[in-house]
Order: sequence, then structure tokens, then C-alpha cells
Amino acid sequence: MMHMDPVAAARALAGGLLHPLLAPAHVVALAGLAVAAGRAGSRVAIVAAFALGLAGGLGAIAWGVGETPANDVLLAAAAACGVLAAGLPRLPAWLAVPPAPVIGVAIGLDSPPQAISVGAAVPMLLGTACGGVIALALLAAAASALAGRWQGIVLRVAGSWLAAIAILVLALRWAG
Amino acid sequence: MAIPLILTALLMMAAGVTPALAHGGGIGGGDVAGGFFGGFRHPLTGPDHVAAMVAVGLWGAVLGAPALWLLPIAFPLIMALGGVLGIAGVALPRVEIGIAVSAIVLGVMVAFMVRAPLAVAVAAVAVFAIFHGYAHGAELPPGADAIAFSAGFVIATGLLHLAGIGVGLAARRPAGRVVVRLAGAAIAIAGMIFLIAAL
Repeated sequence: MMHMDPVAAARALAGGLLHPLLAPAHVVALAGLAVAAGRAGSRVAIVAAFALGLAGGLGAIAWGVGETPANDVLLAAAAACGVLAAGLPRLPAWLAVPPAPVIGVAIGLDSPPQAISVGAAVPMLLGTACGGVIALALLAAAASALAGRWQGIVLRVAGSWLAAIAILVLALRWAG
Repeated sequence: MAIPLILTALLMMAAGVTPALAHGGGIGGGDVAGGFFGGFRHPLTGPDHVAAMVAVGLWGAVLGAPALWLLPIAFPLIMALGGVLGIAGVALPRVEIGIAVSAIVLGVMVAFMVRAPLAVAVAAVAVFAIFHGYAHGAELPPGADAIAFSAGFVIATGLLHLAGIGVGLAARRPAGRVVVRLAGAAIAIAGMIFLIAAL
């Protein structure tokens, strides 16, 4: 049976836990999804769908899936969430939920662990799963709290800004 | 209670843990911080951009709801499309003239407190946003800090709108109306100077 230093495992877990907050594209996508969740009022469904997608994406990484365009998919999904949140007077759940599993899968696929050993990679991936879900849950809770104030204008402005950021970066990448 | 505790725990961990996954340039890295502040400074260092952005907020405040919030929501989205044109290298003639004209037109609208229909106001601001976005897009740096740079300059642009809205809300009082009109006139005059310089 494989053994690993508990301190090293804890560091790997913590590194994975923070990963969704340290990669800019992940932060933009999580924020966009949270804004959409706040506007649609379907926070639980979106977090659940995201968690399923994230588990699938991390499972694929553990299975050995190689490089994918997941980072670009994240930005495209963030742009879609931002446009939906900013542009529609009312955001229905059936439009807000579908990007959640897409973003979950993409974050999973875009989080390959640097660790060579399986013993270190597993806690990193577990940490990423927990970190992603916790980060989205916190952001969505904040967005839901803002949704009831000023007719959701703050969320619409945030959606507009996030979409603009994602669109510009995507254009820059595709042009380069 | 639980949320602040979790946030605190995450922040404490962020202070002591380095990212352990395969990415270059995370938040907290010098390139990201530099990119963000570079992007944040970008709209603030162009007086033509500053004048027009503040004027968008001022005009929104003069028009009142829903233009008050609709213009600042529409502007970044359309500006991003203009940025795409700039990044893609699509030829857009007389960009600097377009930006100067935006300051003149928006300044005049504010100075005379023109209450244009919402569709007209959004369309006018959208056209101007294309020019501003194009100019920004053509200057976006390639590389890992592109997200941070874009975030910085979109946020700075939004804050300029908010500054304009903040001043524009003074128009609800008689003395404030004079201040807002004078601000509009100043922006229009500045736009004329930008136009002369661009010709």
C-alpha cells in the first residue's frame, strides 16, 4: 500500500484547494457563473451542476486526458454568463444552469497536477474539487445577496465587465 | 458566520501556500499584478478616454433610470466588440477623431441636458464605445497577463462611468445642475481640442 508524508499531503491538498482562486481564467469563469446564479436565483442547482462537471473534469485528468482547450472554453463560458446576466431583464434558470457543468468540466481539465507521484496528485485533485465548489458557493451566495438590492443592477454591471474581459482575452488569444 | 470563517481560512492558506498545479502566472504573481495595474492605468492616462467615459456616466445620470445603469452596462460590452476589431486588425478609419467626437457629442448632451430617447442614447454610446474599444484593443499586450490587463482597464473604465454618475446625480439640485452643465461644457471643449489635435 502506498504511503505519503501527512504534511506533504496536507500541502498538496491546500495547493489544490486554492488552485481555482489562483488561475485568472478560473476566477473569471467562477465569478461569471456566480453572477448568473445570483440573477437567476438558482444558486443550488448551479453549484450542484458545477460540482458534477468538476468531478467529471478532474476524473478525466486523473484518467490521463492530455492538453485540451479548456482555458478558452472557460473564458467563452464566462463571456456567455456575463452577457446573459447583463443583457436580460430576467435570467431564467434554464439559461443560467447549462454553463455550470461546462465550466466545471473545463476547470477540472485545466487543473492538471504538477505532482509526479499518485500519492501527491490525489490530494491535489481532491483539494481542487473542494476549492472550486467552495469558491463558487461563496461567490454565488454573495451574488444572491446583491441580487435583491438596487434591482440587481450591481450584478448586471458585474456581468457586463466580466463578459468584456473574457471577450477581449479570447480575441487576443485567437489573434495571437 | 461560516462564510467569513471560510474566507479567513482561505486567505490564511493563500499567504502560506504556493500553487501546486501546472499553471504559469497565478494571481499574486508579479506579471498578473503588473498586468492589472497596467490595464487600470491605461484608460486613466488618456485624457480623451477619461473625458468621454465620465461623460457617459454624466449623461446617464442626466437621463435618469433606466439609462442611468443601462449605458454603463452596454458600454463595456460594445467596447469589447470594438476591442475585438482592434485586436483582429480590422481597419477602422479615424479612430482618434471618433474618440474626440464622442467627447464633444457627449459633452454637449450633458451641457444642454438633452433628454434623448433611450434607444438613441444607447445607440450613440454604442457607436462611441466601438471607437474606444478599438483603440484599447489595438494596445492590449499579448501574454499571460492579458486577463489581468483586461480586468484592470475594464474596471477603470467602469469606475470612470461611476465617477460621472456620482457627479451627475448632483443635477437633482439646482446648484448641482450648474456644476453638471459646466462639466459637460468642459468635456465638449476638451473634445474640440482633441479633435484639432487629431486632424
